Amino acid sequence: MGILKKFFHQESGPLTRELLLDPGKFGLGMVPAKSSPDGTTTMVCGYCSVGCGLRIHLKNNEAVNLSPDTDYPVNLGFACPKGWEALTPLKAADRATTPYLRAPDKQLKPIDWNTALNIFTQRFKAIQEKYGTESVAFLSTGQIVMEEMAFLGALAKFGLGMVHGDGNTRQCMATAVVAYKQSFGFDAPPYTYKDFEDSDVIILVGSNLCIAHPILWERICKNPNHPEIIVVDPRMTETAMAATQHYSLLPKSDLTFFYGIARILIEKGWVDHSYIENHTNGFNEFSKHLESFLPERVSKETGISKDKLYQMAETIHKGQKVSFWWTMGVNQSHEGVRLAQSLINLALMTGNMGRPGTGANSITGQCNAMGSRLYSNTTNLLGCHDFLNALDREKVAQILGLDVSRIPQVNSWAYDQIIEGIGAGKIKGLWVIATNTSHSWIHQSFVNECLKELDFLVVQDMYYTTETAQAADLLLPAAGWGEKEGCFINSERRIGRVKKVAKAPGQALSDFNIFRLIAEHWGCGELFKEWISPEHVFQILKRISKGTPADISGIKDYARIDEAGGIQWPYPEGFETREKERRLFEDGRYYTNDYRAKFIFSDPQPMSETPSQEYPFLLLTGRGSSSQWHTQTRTKKSEVLKKLYPQQIYMEMNPEDGQSQGIKPNSWVYVESRRGKIKAKAYLTPTIQPGQIFIPMHYHTTNRLTNPSFDPYSRQPSYKACAVNVRRIEHWEGGEEE
Amino acid sequence: MTPQKQKQSLETSSLLQDLLKQQNDLTAVERFSKSKEAGALPDQAKYYQDLIPLSTPDKGEQYGFEVDLDACTGCKACVSACHNLNGLDEKETWRSVGHLTGGSEKNPKIFTVTTACHHCLDPACLSGCPTQAYFKDPKTGIVKHLDDQCFGCKYCTLTCPYEVPQYNPSLGIVRKCDMCQDRLNLGEAPSCVQACPNQAIEIKIVKQKEVMENAESKSFLPLAPDPQKTYPTTNYKTKSPFPKNLLPQDYYSIKKSHSHLPLVFMLVLTQLSIGVFTIKWISNFLLQNSLSEKYSLLFTALTFFLGQLAMAASLFHLGRPYYAFRAVIGLRTSWLSREIVAMAIFSFLTFSYAFCFCLNQWTSFFIPKSVFNHLETLTVICGLAALGTSVMVYRATKRDSWNTSLTIWKFYLSAFVTGSSFFLLLLDFFSFYNSEIFFNLMQTRKFLLLAILSGILLKLSIESSILSHLKNRHLNPLKRSALLLIGELKNVFKARICCGLVGGIGIPGILFLMEDSIRIFILLLGSVSFVLILAGELLERYLFFTSEGSDKMPGGFS
Repeated sequence: MGILKKFFHQESGPLTRELLLDPGKFGLGMVPAKSSPDGTTTMVCGYCSVGCGLRIHLKNNEAVNLSPDTDYPVNLGFACPKGWEALTPLKAADRATTPYLRAPDKQLKPIDWNTALNIFTQRFKAIQEKYGTESVAFLSTGQIVMEEMAFLGALAKFGLGMVHGDGNTRQCMATAVVAYKQSFGFDAPPYTYKDFEDSDVIILVGSNLCIAHPILWERICKNPNHPEIIVVDPRMTETAMAATQHYSLLPKSDLTFFYGIARILIEKGWVDHSYIENHTNGFNEFSKHLESFLPERVSKETGISKDKLYQMAETIHKGQKVSFWWTMGVNQSHEGVRLAQSLINLALMTGNMGRPGTGANSITGQCNAMGSRLYSNTTNLLGCHDFLNALDREKVAQILGLDVSRIPQVNSWAYDQIIEGIGAGKIKGLWVIATNTSHSWIHQSFVNECLKELDFLVVQDMYYTTETAQAADLLLPAAGWGEKEGCFINSERRIGRVKKVAKAPGQALSDFNIFRLIAEHWGCGELFKEWISPEHVFQILKRISKGTPADISGIKDYARIDEAGGIQWPYPEGFETREKERRLFEDGRYYTNDYRAKFIFSDPQPMSETPSQEYPFLLLTGRGSSSQWHTQTRTKKSEVLKKLYPQQIYMEMNPEDGQSQGIKPNSWVYVESRRGKIKAKAYLTPTIQPGQIFIPMHYHTTNRLTNPSFDPYSRQPSYKACAVNVRRIEHWEGGEEE
Repeated sequence: MTPQKQKQSLETSSLLQDLLKQQNDLTAVERFSKSKEAGALPDQAKYYQDLIPLSTPDKGEQYGFEVDLDACTGCKACVSACHNLNGLDEKETWRSVGHLTGGSEKNPKIFTVTTACHHCLDPACLSGCPTQAYFKDPKTGIVKHLDDQCFGCKYCTLTCPYEVPQYNPSLGIVRKCDMCQDRLNLGEAPSCVQACPNQAIEIKIVKQKEVMENAESKSFLPLAPDPQKTYPTTNYKTKSPFPKNLLPQDYYSIKKSHSHLPLVFMLVLTQLSIGVFTIKWISNFLLQNSLSEKYSLLFTALTFFLGQLAMAASLFHLGRPYYAFRAVIGLRTSWLSREIVAMAIFSFLTFSYAFCFCLNQWTSFFIPKSVFNHLETLTVICGLAALGTSVMVYRATKRDSWNTSLTIWKFYLSAFVTGSSFFLLLLDFFSFYNSEIFFNLMQTRKFLLLAILSGILLKLSIESSILSHLKNRHLNPLKRSALLLIGELKNVFKARICCGLVGGIGIPGILFLMEDSIRIFILLLGSVSFVLILAGELLERYLFFTSEGSDKMPGGFS
């Protein structure tokens, strides 16, 4: 009877068991039985700079699943969808599993490692012999561990004789670096995430935290003070909507706006004279500079009413703990450095520095942008030293046991200058590591033309399908996050661990191991004989950091970092603390020679391309959703993430503009700038102001439109301002993007 | 190669081997691997303890999701957490997220709407399921799917207005959210509740009476499917009022729906089979002519065969066809079960009919003519009733484009025109060999041609009538269907009309006018006409499924 019943009505069986949950072990709660772990380990996520701790569920030391770590001081048990899906892209079918070489028939053909290393060495050496050693350059990344960054920078410059190398971090935080260096004397984001919870006024500028850094928004939600949350952004973003005040100023009127606010603060006497007196320089010159920023003028130029200007100033004044935060809306600007400094100035003049819940705080982009700032050996000599300073060169050479002559005595070109250099025929060989230049660099058609000009392009990446890998002459297959060891440094200066919990496919090797092989093959292996593992390099970096503001010589080893849940710099030798959240400048002493922060300012400059009759709209670009990461080489490999964002490129436009241009919702349009034309789907929404359009950066055609203009101090591209026109497409031409 | 180079090459070669080996050695992580005491409270408990009920529901109550739209900022972690912590397949997600946008220039609004199963009071998945693979827990109200009972007919994906049941092609079954019942049983929060950084999802005890009262005022969620259909229990709450112009982000993105090809064939073939049997009966009845016994047998056998073909086609729609016998279990509630049973009865009767002929023909049994007549009438009645159950299968989904009157017209007229056309073709075919088989062939042919002409004309106009909804100001489901017909599906729609016009009006018209023509020519034209009509009906049924555009939960821009 039972069998018959089961035949007709089967309440359990193999299909039910598929989804069986196992009772929680290790404090995880219930987990799928088929991926029940026999241990866990925590490591830092490999996407953004928030640096969430992910608990990897291990079975025989191999990752079978993950969940956010409840005890990690950054994310406190939560993660965004990218984090939850972090293991999925490792298993993608388009992983590069062997080196590839472009054959005479223009196809990429698999080759073995020895051949690849031979060709790498021969070709680059031949180019250097013919055009000089500086004719081969490299483009690094904010996505690999800092030990690898250091190895890459050291190998390229001290071993292979390159002079020019830069990172994709140029695209995300170069502005903050320069702003901090000039104002504080060192590139030092002063905050800890706890400050989000301690503030009573939180000012977010050019930052769509809810989407770009969802876990930091979580920290704001944990703030018990019912803070005023002010968002300064032309768009009504998700964050603006969740804020208590939104200032939707005209694009690139922000410098004027913050000078206007500063002027009102002075006019009303809402400044902290004692802080200014004791800890800063240049305030008088700054106030003088502000005289012409009358509320009338500022209101006119920014589109924000005088009342609202006063409201903002008053909110700052009334706040006891005011924190200023910025992201790419500030950094990616033609005057980003001054703009970031206008926020630093506000924090300094109101004494909102060094106390819980205060600070002028840059939220970085990539998982290891902060590691790159210290150890990529590109803009700075390893460990934030100076290539131009003989003492610094001497110091680094001595620690590394190098002949000092191997250290270049000149600064490297910035990313845009390297690209220009290729165009001008000065750079003939290029080595691109873990970044997707072909897709992400501003004015895409120009950069792609340049890449074609190269004699030899080497791309080192996890996937053979990235736009840049497809342009490579030689492709080196790299292991990814989760397949190797090392450390990332997050936005709040926290050094966190990355661990090897998955096997790399085929013959893919960690970037670290690739660098070892290249050193060996090039014939400079002797220089790096101490560089045998990431943890060995960590010890070297400790020595290099000694005595600098970012001193980490007190961190014993990887185990200590692991046990502490990440450690923030500085952590000099002899320093002991169990505090998990530390901020800088509590004593009001900055890293300048006189220990005072500087007020730095200059007149706002017009953006290089303004809307005209022919190109009447201003194009803003930025992050589309929390499930997309940059050029999508990884996030598009997850079927789950793919369900969470539009698959086709789209353009946000105000319904008023839609009506005047005859553009219907969801219709295809052409968006055209002076540099290119693309197809996009129209999303009509009042969240964008009339006269502006927004296109997410993740789609591969977006940067055909953008205008190559750069901040003069940081050389960071201004992705968020170029003039375009938008035309409706008369006939349905299918769903393709181009 | 110089000796030095050789040496170097050897060195790198051995280094390479070392590094390749080392790359796949995962033992390093052991140093850092942690294992806490088993049995400890889950770490996340400190966050979710307030988000799940302390008690179990009383009588008249059940569990329901509560979503705080103000707290949700659209990170969508709930979707991937549900996926990971429930061990779903690569492409499978039980939660989805959409957006509602609106408001004014000065005050634009975006609401992110996370949605999973609403654990309805009257779950349409459950009542429609032919195998009783759904179970509503009387204590908690959780609607649970019994994976091993499911045979993958996907009917629940049509009856559920919220796109909740997800078909898993590799397993051949549907699966869905069970509110992490096993977790709740142990006092652990469902994975979405655990994972939301802003604690926007909670489990609450809801009063069933309130759910029904709220459904009356349609206050579930703007532009979501009518809550009256199933009484969903999820509560979307917000302190800020919804702007009056709030629309889903994908409101204007009108995309064709799933085509369910096996069902297209199954429906058209069953209708052809029932149609041709009925038309024969009608022509017998009206024109007092009957086929000779031999042809009658052939004819019935063909009908039976068509029915079997239709059944076979429907098997292709099942993820686990070997459990097809379970289809009868849901007879008490499921129109799909009833349809299957009705079709089987019809099929059985046609078989019996043919069987009786055989008995008469080849054995000493003799079954009197009156039995044949009664059997034939019974078969026709059953066939027509079976057509009715097909209509009810789609009516039960409460989808606007599958409303009763439209579907009745479509299905019965399909049977009528395909039946007439096929019967005519058979007549022409039989009479090609033996012109004396009919008492009044000409009359029958004229009758059939007129039936085809008028049937197709009526059917085409009913099908095209949906285009009148293009004038609607409101983008309702029927307007969406109409827009699909002139948009993404316009070529299919054109082809469908052409097939109807040529096969059902053009050719029958010609045949009607030229009575005395060469028989082979007539036969040829008749075949072309039938093929076109059949193709037209298949296309119509394809459009029936693909142009379905009912309301759904808000999606993202697409």
